[in-house]
Amino acid sequence: MGRIRNEIRRLRFEHGEMTQQELAEKIAMTRQTVNAIEQGKYSPSLEAAFRIANVFGKPIEGVFHYSEDL
Amino acid sequence: MSFREKSAWISLLSVSAIYGFYFASLTRSGWHAPSSGFGGLLGTIVALVIVQTVMTVAVAIYKPKDAKAPRDERDRLIDLRSTRCAYAGLATGVAFAIFFAGFNPPILLNANALLFILVISEALRNTSQIVQYRRGA
Repeated sequence: MGRIRNEIRRLRFEHGEMTQQELAEKIAMTRQTVNAIEQGKYSPSLEAAFRIANVFGKPIEGVFHYSEDL
Repeated sequence: MSFREKSAWISLLSVSAIYGFYFASLTRSGWHAPSSGFGGLLGTIVALVIVQTVMTVAVAIYKPKDAKAPRDERDRLIDLRSTRCAYAGLATGVAFAIFFAGFNPPILLNANALLFILVISEALRNTSQIVQYRRGA
């Protein structure tokens, strides 16, 4: 089973220490969902992943990585 | 804790307490006794609506920002999974009720048994929601 990892924590830090709440408001999600995505507990839909990448001005692969757990 | 998780807790606790009281009183008087008819059930439903409304409004007033947060895709996924879990419980319970209906139980006993199944299904739904919110998704 593969796993989706992300760089959201680092990107928030690099964007003026953006809070989870601020990111959540920009992508029309709850802070709890942003927290679950950031911790890798919830994999967002493709649309939500694009919205998150857009906030940071990055391509989607600059925010999310897929790795196969062998 | 998100507003929706708090709502699930409110629903679980109020349903368990109020219907718990209703079914406990039925157990004392007999599930098919005349006192277990419409009046007691109506009072239970009214109490449930009042308690849930007051508690939900109180939570919304305490943290209005959380209450105004839009329902997102994770909330919808959790709702769908929980409803599927509750449906399995409901379908199993109804299958048992149909089986036992073949023994011609009193109508009030049958009606209360169906209500009990419905309440258990709702509790299952709320429990599943809470577990998924705690886990992350």
